[in-house]
Amino acid sequence: MIFQYLPEPIDDLLSVLGYWDLMLSGFIMTMWLYGIALLMGFIIGLSFAIFRQYGGWILSRIATAYIELIRGTPLLAQLFLFYFLPYSLRIPIVKWNYGINFVLFGKDISIILLNHRVLVGIITLSLNSSAYQAEYFRGAILSIGTEQLIAAQSLGMSRLSGIRHIILPQALRRVIPAWSNEAAYLPKYTVVVYFIGVLELFAQAHNIVAYTFVSLLTYIIVAIIFLVLITTISKGLDYIYKRTSIPGL
Amino acid sequence: MGKPVISVVDIWKSYNDLNVLNGVSFELMEKEVKVIFVPSGSGKSTLLRCINMLNPPDKGEIYLRGQNLMDSDVDLNKIRSRIGMVFQHFNLFTHLKAIDNVSIGLRRVKGLSKEEAHEKALMALKSVKMAEWADHYPAQLSGGQQQRVGIARALAMEPDVILFDEPTSALDPELIGEVLQVMLDIAKSGTTMIVVTHELGFAKAVSSEMIFLGEGVILERGTPEHFFTSPESERVKKFLKQLEVLYGSHEELLKL
Repeated sequence: MIFQYLPEPIDDLLSVLGYWDLMLSGFIMTMWLYGIALLMGFIIGLSFAIFRQYGGWILSRIATAYIELIRGTPLLAQLFLFYFLPYSLRIPIVKWNYGINFVLFGKDISIILLNHRVLVGIITLSLNSSAYQAEYFRGAILSIGTEQLIAAQSLGMSRLSGIRHIILPQALRRVIPAWSNEAAYLPKYTVVVYFIGVLELFAQAHNIVAYTFVSLLTYIIVAIIFLVLITTISKGLDYIYKRTSIPGL
Repeated sequence: MGKPVISVVDIWKSYNDLNVLNGVSFELMEKEVKVIFVPSGSGKSTLLRCINMLNPPDKGEIYLRGQNLMDSDVDLNKIRSRIGMVFQHFNLFTHLKAIDNVSIGLRRVKGLSKEEAHEKALMALKSVKMAEWADHYPAQLSGGQQQRVGIARALAMEPDVILFDEPTSALDPELIGEVLQVMLDIAKSGTTMIVVTHELGFAKAVSSEMIFLGEGVILERGTPEHFFTSPESERVKKFLKQLEVLYGSHEELLKL
């Protein structure tokens, strides 16, 4: 009888919710990683899509190689590569960190927003996301067709100006439904940084389980948080897609 | 006579082993309307895209008011802003309203202010009778309306010459008339034009010279009168007959 666990759902829930401060700081960390990786991935990905499509012989090949290399290797392997690379190259790791502290409802909440682990996580997630985003952007650019750029050039616009003023405004509108895939995947991918000790939502959930011994409920709560987050993101993007769509098309 | 606006001197162009242009030469004078007939698939777009150097010829020379466009130090973007182009499939910028389609070149290429560009664009739209559609997007317009905006887009840049690449062949028959009418109006107001088309009626009405291209060379050239009374080569006679049958002359569409 000693080993039999009697579920007491209400008590379990209350004990897990008692650690809401850990959940919150984990959630903020996840959103922080997500936001930066999505933004950096957008900038790098868009550039590589343009290089691949319009970059000429050398740039387009470099871009293609980059995209295939990243899409062809596991995210976790990339993370470990960036994490262990400085050690194997004997580059000394300087311990430093920037964080925020605040008090909310009587609880001290402190989050390390940037140290070498977080930085490795951000770099990996950004580069990884950029390769996938690049392909979404390239698909959208391809769907615009060559005639639009020819029309722009025949007005006297340079290729660059045509890409900037004619191709991109159309491609960025058209890419939203496909791109929302990446926007919805990325929050879930951020959990890999748990492996290098970044305290994001999943790592904090692990901590809560260690404190409370309530695992199922904790992870269900984490799952619900992700579900709500990602549903909100998709709905938001749907709304933006409709708002920016070109009348008559 | 003055100096030619465009001189095409012995241009050659091939794609892999397909020879599209095998030594074509002609000159285009100020306010001249030259109509070029090319059997489908014989390099009509190639010829026009050689002239504005979007698709430079392999060999030969092209001059815009005496300036050789094949020189490596020519600023082609600047040159292209002086050569208007109207496309078979209109190629309007789908994300821009009609007015912005017309004004974007003025703003981004000619560097006009937003207000100036808007005013000029509106005038160009007026000249193609599309001013009241200025705030519509291309997808909200009919083919004929889109093509008229396309013409306005070229006109607004005040180019030295406008190239028309089969401007009516993607249109439904009932929409052809309004586009031809606009082209007729701007031709009569002294616009220098090269028109690749199958519209015999248009050629008859305004062209100063008609050129028949076939197998990459000029088969025959001359005034409309010449072609409609006494064409020489058998191929041209046959081609004229086919055009008459396939496309008609649309003369009834044009208020001449």
